Amino acid sequence: MVALLRPDEGSIVKTHKTRSVTIKRSFRSLAVKYALLLLACAVVMYPLFWMITMAFKPFDEWTTGSGLTWLPQNATLGNFEYLFYGQTEGLVVTLDRTIGGPLWASLVTSTCGTIIAVVAGTLSSYAVVRFNILPSLALSVLQLRLFPPLAVMIPVMVMWAFIGGVDTWWGLSLIYGIVTLPFAFWLMKTFFDEVPIEIEEAARVAGSSYWRVFYRITLPIVKPGLATCVLFVFILNWSDYLLALLLTQKEWVTLPVYMNTLNTALGEMYGMKAALGFIAAIPPIFLGLLIQKHLVRGLTFGALKQ
Amino acid sequence: MSSIQINNVTKRFGEFTAVSDLSIDIEDGEFVALLGPSGCGKTTTMNMIAGLEEATEGEILFNGQDLSHTPIQQRNIGFVFQNYAIFTHMTVYKNLSYGLEVNNVPKDQITSRVAAMAKRMNLTHCLDAPAASLSVNEMQKLAIGRSAIAEPRIFLLDEPLSNLDAGFRAYMRSELKVLQREFGQTMIYVTHDQIEAMSLADKIAIIDQGKLMQYGSPLEVYNNPCNRFVANFVGSPKINLLDGQIKGANGSTKLITQGGAEVALQGKISSDFAKLKSSKGGSIGIRPQDIYFGEKRASDDIQLHGYVEELERVGPKRLVHLQVHRTQIVAEDERDALSIGDEVEFFLTADKCMAFDLDSGDRLTGGAA
Amino acid sequence: MTELSSNTSASLASNVGEKRGYWSRVGRDGRKLGKWFVAPTVALLIFIVIFPLLMQLYLSFTWWTPLDGVPWYQAYESFNWGENYLILAYDPAFWAALWRTAMIMLVAVPAQFFLGLGLAYLFIDKFPGRKVFYSIVLTPMMVVPAVVGLMFFLLFQGTGPVNDSLGLPASFSWLTDPNRALISVIIADTWQWTPLMFLILLAGMLGVPSDQLLAARLLGGSNWQNFYKIILPRMKSVIAIAIVLRLVECFKIFDLIFIMTSGGPGVATETISLFLYKKTFADLDWAYVGAVGLAVLIVLSLIAAFGLSRVAKNKG
Repeated sequence: MVALLRPDEGSIVKTHKTRSVTIKRSFRSLAVKYALLLLACAVVMYPLFWMITMAFKPFDEWTTGSGLTWLPQNATLGNFEYLFYGQTEGLVVTLDRTIGGPLWASLVTSTCGTIIAVVAGTLSSYAVVRFNILPSLALSVLQLRLFPPLAVMIPVMVMWAFIGGVDTWWGLSLIYGIVTLPFAFWLMKTFFDEVPIEIEEAARVAGSSYWRVFYRITLPIVKPGLATCVLFVFILNWSDYLLALLLTQKEWVTLPVYMNTLNTALGEMYGMKAALGFIAAIPPIFLGLLIQKHLVRGLTFGALKQ
Repeated sequence: MSSIQINNVTKRFGEFTAVSDLSIDIEDGEFVALLGPSGCGKTTTMNMIAGLEEATEGEILFNGQDLSHTPIQQRNIGFVFQNYAIFTHMTVYKNLSYGLEVNNVPKDQITSRVAAMAKRMNLTHCLDAPAASLSVNEMQKLAIGRSAIAEPRIFLLDEPLSNLDAGFRAYMRSELKVLQREFGQTMIYVTHDQIEAMSLADKIAIIDQGKLMQYGSPLEVYNNPCNRFVANFVGSPKINLLDGQIKGANGSTKLITQGGAEVALQGKISSDFAKLKSSKGGSIGIRPQDIYFGEKRASDDIQLHGYVEELERVGPKRLVHLQVHRTQIVAEDERDALSIGDEVEFFLTADKCMAFDLDSGDRLTGGAA
Repeated sequence: MTELSSNTSASLASNVGEKRGYWSRVGRDGRKLGKWFVAPTVALLIFIVIFPLLMQLYLSFTWWTPLDGVPWYQAYESFNWGENYLILAYDPAFWAALWRTAMIMLVAVPAQFFLGLGLAYLFIDKFPGRKVFYSIVLTPMMVVPAVVGLMFFLLFQGTGPVNDSLGLPASFSWLTDPNRALISVIIADTWQWTPLMFLILLAGMLGVPSDQLLAARLLGGSNWQNFYKIILPRMKSVIAIAIVLRLVECFKIFDLIFIMTSGGPGVATETISLFLYKKTFADLDWAYVGAVGLAVLIVLSLIAAFGLSRVAKNKG
């Protein structure tokens, strides 16, 4: 718009202007729009807000029939303290297992699972896109996402017991890597599809091997896509509950599973659970914001782009 | 049908002024081209007429009536987009009928009006075909037909020919002219192609950097450009512009080009430059067909000496590229007798020479003579 | 083409010398390198699909449970000629779970679709604050599903904020009343996944060329007419993608319900996944679970194959 070109006689400009005009709207329709948006935001924030404030509420504010308060009256970090150190003021029962182990387990297994999925997915989608090897792989991989995990978990549990993978970091990482492989595969496939083959051919003509072209040319080009893929798959792994529930027992229990075991003789530990939910919810929300513009692509297996 | 008055319209996008203080009067039934280089603000002007953008200042009147508070839907403005904006998921028939259907025109009327328009546009054979299957040329006709069928008060066309191949473009150019006469509608046409504008429009508004440079009939704009930009933009082959310092007193003025050529000026052109105030110098504009070779025809004609650098054939004419002290001048050669490298005397017809102020670009006329 | 390039790469390799090992030759041969590239994925697929499927088929024809102390490979000792499948056919708990799953799908997915569509329509043009609203609206979908379960578990307590906000007594229970428990679960799922619908539908909506929308407006179409006649018809395939995606995920629903109600009260919110979970861990009836799983798998595969062939036909 700002670039003012001098007249260039005779040249035929074959461009499509993208017209981004701001349609004048009446004040009323704009007000309705904002009212609806604020309503949507309120609905979105309502549960989140309750959980987050709950995380900072002391024991006696968790549930009270009378005088329910939205904001903690005596805000405290006690719930977090209890999670991390196993005890806090006013609670007799101590926690034998603090958050450290599950936090570590979630981090390790999500990370390793992500590495497995992204490495396998990247290499195989590249082979499918460029060398046209096993084109049917794309659909077979997709089928992995179709079935409820519980419908196919019996043999997996038997196998994991057989190979000694139950309640180990590598056992859980392995299954994570497998179930998120379809996402990694399809996401990377869409990024590779966008790399013009001419660039690779130019490098090939210059004498580079296929491996070198992949490693030195293509991979750097899709680097932003690769980063997106890593974050996306990490979020998926981090969000898992079921697989950890089935394949871990004690040592490598992850955060969500650990959260649901926070019950003591005193009953439901609302505040601690909320504090834990808060901790578990932060990384995916934050990472999700980072890759916002590729979310559609990832979630629809590349069927849609934004 | 309606006349349009654009009164002192300004459009700003933040810091950037796309259109500044633009005023144009368009009479009922006139065909007006908005002509200018890319980014000059002509499309913004058009969007404002259509109501797609709101003017920051000024007003646009249709038959004396301000529509700025009328929603676009009710303005009844025909708009042909550069890429036609055909509804590709519908049939040709549905495309044509859309404007009637949404305005609750009775069914039987729709059928007959669509049939008539399809016939006029030569689209009858593909009425039931999906619009996506049309050729670009047919899409162009469909786009015009779709807008025309609702009998809009005015018709806006945004570079409608720029996507067509050369042959069809020439055909469509004349077709547009015929259509405009048939519909008798006010049409505004945005283009960056001066040939299109010159051959189609009743009047041309030349716009540069958001400002109206000149508004007039094609001939007026061509023969009597009001500034250096218009002179340079309109006309093919391009006008020659000799820039240089103006030296000397009234009566015997000289223009000294950067290359060091001294051009002696006499008579009218010399007195035109008397008005020159800027120190940057002046500029003489002369169209190639107003340069001749051989015998001097009038006493005031300017005589120059140069050598033939290049010969170029454009249709029946031959253009000679002459070099005069590192300044290039293009002339039309009627005699067809020159060859490259020849040293030659040539003359600029004095009463066709135009004087411009190099600084402001303004045309200098009058003077003491 | 392939032949040619392998020839030239062979001659190149021989030019450079014999020192190069196997891997450098692979690097210069596209097909060989490609085979190595797909190897890990193929290995993982075989490991997780072929072998387990065979094992599941095998176990589903026995009475085997991990309680027997008999290793799985000796399960043939209790071979039962497919009685598990017969039991399945007449298992009211299974059919009830399937019916409940279908109910959730049929209520939650349309609700998510219409809410998402409406929300997407609000975002179709630019307005101040669009980015912020967009990010906020997307948040629920990023929250760990188990945590969403926890949040709605907290909200729907008798003494929780929902009753408080609606002015209902603490005795008005959501999660312990069979009907309301199902509604609560559907609300929670809708809260979490409407943003996904919104995201996909908005991408589809923005894919409608803006010039066509402007043209429709200039032709006099009202916003509603243009939405119905221009935008929606162009979104057909996007809508299909969004709905199929959500139906598949909704069928698998587990985390949310498990944490909110554990399938309860009684079996009021027991979906297929929860049914299988209960059979696996409460009843330790692994062979039967294998049979149910296989049946579900086969039906889903048939549906998917049918759907894919329809898609292929539409494209062709």
